[in-house]
Amino acid sequence: MEVFETPLPGVGSRYEFTTAAGDRIAVVARRDRRREFVLYDEEDPDACRASVELTGEESAVVVELLGGTKLTERLVDLRHEVEGLAIEWVTMPDATGLTGRTIGDGRLRTATGASVVAVIRGGNSIPGPGPEFGFEAGDVVLVIGSHASVQAANDLLTR
Amino acid sequence: MIAASGSSIVLIELGALLLILAALGRLAARLGLPSIPLYLAAGLLLGEGSAFPLDASAEFIRVGADIGVVLLLLLLGLEYTPTELRTGLTTGWPAGLVDLVANSLPGFLAGILLGWGVVAAVVLGGVTYISSSGIIAKQIFDLDRTANRETPTVLTILVFEDLVMAVYLPVIGVLLVGGTISEAAASIAVAIFVVCAALIIAFRQSHHVNRVLDTKSPELLLLGILGLTLLIGGLAERVQVSAAVAAFLVGVTLSDRVAERGRELLLPIRDVFGGLFFVFFGLQVDPSTLPPVLVPALLLAVTGVVTKTATGWWAAKRAGIGPRGRIRAGFSLIPRGEFSIVIAGLAVVAGVDRDLGPLATAYVLIVAVVGSLAMRFADRLPVRNRQQSPPAQ
Repeated sequence: MEVFETPLPGVGSRYEFTTAAGDRIAVVARRDRRREFVLYDEEDPDACRASVELTGEESAVVVELLGGTKLTERLVDLRHEVEGLAIEWVTMPDATGLTGRTIGDGRLRTATGASVVAVIRGGNSIPGPGPEFGFEAGDVVLVIGSHASVQAANDLLTR
Repeated sequence: MIAASGSSIVLIELGALLLILAALGRLAARLGLPSIPLYLAAGLLLGEGSAFPLDASAEFIRVGADIGVVLLLLLLGLEYTPTELRTGLTTGWPAGLVDLVANSLPGFLAGILLGWGVVAAVVLGGVTYISSSGIIAKQIFDLDRTANRETPTVLTILVFEDLVMAVYLPVIGVLLVGGTISEAAASIAVAIFVVCAALIIAFRQSHHVNRVLDTKSPELLLLGILGLTLLIGGLAERVQVSAAVAAFLVGVTLSDRVAERGRELLLPIRDVFGGLFFVFFGLQVDPSTLPPVLVPALLLAVTGVVTKTATGWWAAKRAGIGPRGRIRAGFSLIPRGEFSIVIAGLAVVAGVDRDLGPLATAYVLIVAVVGSLAMRFADRLPVRNRQQSPPAQ
């Protein structure tokens, strides 16, 4: 598969490719870190039929959902196998909750019973962070456990 | 008490003026039009003999307009990174040259035919040449055309125009000052040398400038960039170089993080003072001088629409874009705006032909509105793409 990069002066860069099914899609990476995701028109191949604007945080989540690290795929399988398992993506707030503190500080597992399986930061995923791992604002934290424990962990992380 | 009431009148006038601009800006956004022509029109209507004379705040508006020009050109210089400028020059020159010749020639010839002399004709050539990167970039974004395949073609032409401005502005500055041919030639040589020096600094040495200015605090960065630009602009005016030109070169020299964050911080300030600049330009033009220049303005506008559309069509075709994309690219180049007015403003201050200000005003009013509407309705034209596989990159 070939991805074509085209510079857009004053805006950023455009990355474009054709899918196996024949759809042509592109991502515009703007200088202000926003992303635009577009689908090209079949009749007018130079124009877009649809476009979606994403913030940096939203694109990180989409990357993860699309299986950027294959993590999502495996989690979906896992959820099928274990009944009552809850999985939640928690976005760290600007200043409250555990932002600026570590997993150990929050005694997350002891207090709630839920586990932090991975953290996504700026498009990279950090699997299995240890107790010394410090949260930053905007981190997307993947929490797993029972429904009640995941809810409690969400509260602890964000409030 | 007189002093206090004097300053209160200034505040009242300024407040009312900014509110008028805000209302016009909203109206423009609702109609899908750029705000520049409406600000110009406001200036025209608020001028001498209007029901709402701006007497007390005239001095502030004049200084504000000066700052507006400086900021408009500083941000034009900041708009593109040195890499983008270099790529624009190496890959964009064929389309850029066609754009330059096809669109400055009609203005230049019109100036000669109107009997204005060579200098005013060169000014008018600049007015008809330079597209409004501000209006065009905003429209492309609002119409969701950022990812369109004809968009890089349009943006590359704008980058080339930016580079042409770097040479054109200092040269026109020298021509407007006048003097003998040898004096002018020497000044132009100096001007081009300064431009080249600024570009070389931008390409190779900008990290020194950036290191001095760079700071985490937005407040200090803003003060640093503004202070540097106004100081250099003022010093330039002392030696008969326009402050606008100097500001543009400061913008070109700044790069990386300083440029990126500076752009974000300066944009809203530019919009306020830029608005004052358009009003001020409109204030200087007596509305009764517009009807006599209406015919040449209309003829130039029609020519300008045709030549820009042809330029865009040709450039997009070279890039392998289909007929509908070529129409969009052509129409996208039509709007002229802030820089045509800046060029005309330099000439009006220098006192060239009396009709130049009104003609430039009428021209920009027509072309900015027509161009924006053409961009919006480009896809309604019954142009069909022939059945074809997507063109290869």
